Amino acid sequence: MKKISRVLIANRGEIAVRIIRACREIGIETILAVSQADKESLPAKMADRSICIGPPAPAQSYLKVDTIIAAALGTGSDAIHPGYGFLAEQPKFPRACAEHGLIFIGPHAENIRQMGDKLLARQVARSVGIPMIPGSELVTDHEEALKTADTIGYPVLLKASAGGGGKGMKIVQKPQELKTAFAEASAEARSAFGDDRMYMEKLIANARHIEIQIMGDSHGNFVHLFERDCSLQRRYQKLVEESPSTAVNPELREKICRAALDIARNIKYENAGTVEFILDQDQNQFYFLEMNTRIQVEHPVTEIVTGTDLVQEQFHIAVGEPLSFKQEDIKLKGHAVECRINAESPDKGFMPNPGLLTQWQPREGANIRIDTHCFPGYFVPPYYDSLLAKVITIGPDRSQAIGRMKGVLDGFTYGGLDTNIPFHRMLMDKKDYLQGNINTRWVENILAEEKK
Amino acid sequence: MDSISQSDVIQILKMVEESHTDELHLEMGDLKLTIKRSIALASPSGSTPSVHTESRPPATNDAVEVEGRMPSPVAAAAAENRDGLTAIRASMLGTFYKSPKPGEPPFVEVGQLITAEDTVCIIEVMKLFSTIKAGLNGRIAEVCVQDGELVEFDQTLFWLEEIDEMDVFATVKSS
Repeated sequence: MKKISRVLIANRGEIAVRIIRACREIGIETILAVSQADKESLPAKMADRSICIGPPAPAQSYLKVDTIIAAALGTGSDAIHPGYGFLAEQPKFPRACAEHGLIFIGPHAENIRQMGDKLLARQVARSVGIPMIPGSELVTDHEEALKTADTIGYPVLLKASAGGGGKGMKIVQKPQELKTAFAEASAEARSAFGDDRMYMEKLIANARHIEIQIMGDSHGNFVHLFERDCSLQRRYQKLVEESPSTAVNPELREKICRAALDIARNIKYENAGTVEFILDQDQNQFYFLEMNTRIQVEHPVTEIVTGTDLVQEQFHIAVGEPLSFKQEDIKLKGHAVECRINAESPDKGFMPNPGLLTQWQPREGANIRIDTHCFPGYFVPPYYDSLLAKVITIGPDRSQAIGRMKGVLDGFTYGGLDTNIPFHRMLMDKKDYLQGNINTRWVENILAEEKK
Repeated sequence: MDSISQSDVIQILKMVEESHTDELHLEMGDLKLTIKRSIALASPSGSTPSVHTESRPPATNDAVEVEGRMPSPVAAAAAENRDGLTAIRASMLGTFYKSPKPGEPPFVEVGQLITAEDTVCIIEVMKLFSTIKAGLNGRIAEVCVQDGELVEFDQTLFWLEEIDEMDVFATVKSS
């Protein structure tokens, strides 16, 4: 069996801290690849060694495959953990690792390629009988799009095959808007991904975003770790995640988890992954959305309600060990809620707000988990995403988890820059949220109301 | 635009260097700028751009080309000084080589006078060999890295005693 004694972490921020913590517990030495802007970061201090791979701009540091491979080889590392974002879902990265005898802590390049192309991913899902949102495969021009839209009915959603993060995506309410929307969405896709292939789906107005955490090993074992509800989003960016979902009853849970496993099994998926679904609350019907082939930002929610350590498990799977738990060992216990704390100003249209954190003291406690790379005096650099921390609270039930979240948000001491903490705190008081009357458009609706 | 900054001048110099122009005159109000390309005095690479990338025998015979968009690996001259010395820093992460080929004399040694255009070392990233220019005129005071060592981006490779350009040219020419 392969062995990892030293890993290079090709990422930054809270996920770098998270990976270092996991490595400490399983006795793996850590080398952190840092850009010039991250040399004094918390993970750089925690790692056994950090190595500067380039200037602050990601294109010249965290996205440079050759430099990162050279850093791993030069430091005697035998594996690379990509974290999320940056190179985590680029098939060329695991391929380059394999070429140089490095273990990639993640799925095979082929898994990433299949699921990264949304059209290919839809083929896989359809082939194993997963319900798909009424819509199209490739639409080549707006004429074809018009015909398709007529058959599925408005409103429709135009999406980019290479898409992600809401880029190359447009809602079309009526036929007159389609031509412009098609041109805009495909242009956006071309500039963001260098790929302007588009497809179309019926827009589900009252939808929940439900995703299933899965894991597979090299011995053909697959498990699911139940659902996360990530319906609270702003501009397709998740804000609040929780598990379990109030919209999923035991019967639906069994169906949707089985669907996720069918996909994983079909592509012989290895390591941690997430299959995302759209749940139409009016029809009580779920549809395949996409699969993410990485550890996700919101993985702690699942770790808490299932009592697992998904990042440690990633390492075990990568060296060829079988999964350390079986499906029947995994039980949902309690309720977890996570708020993503970002350096942004809710009062100024959620403008990113980098700068010096003069104060930083999150409340601690037995039912609170804070995943963060921040500390008092940390300079939040302007080059990367604005995530400062993930606050996760735990309770025997949802209302107690939310109650604890309110307490943490109220007692959060920070200074120097704006965060979205007040916005989260406001959401936690909304009657609709407390009663579970939410959907993927709910946050945007709240914002529209607040403006009035 | 009524004034011209140092970075504008550098920009113009770069454009001239990359073009086939031998001479450029620019007049803006009171400002007169004349740039003449002279026959290479100190640099053996003449008027070609200052970046050279080559495959280094015996590693491979494949010729490796540097993409036009790649940042020019001229060593980053740092503001940080030590006892009046200036650092020549690594412009990229990679393996440091002090000489053109194994066994050959190093590009530079302590005490040697160099011009900004002189090659001081090679840095290799995944079989891509980039020659690194000094970027400054002066005398090598210290070599900080061992041959074959992994260097980080921005790591100090050499300490240099900066010397006025004319003095270096004069010394290099007469030696």
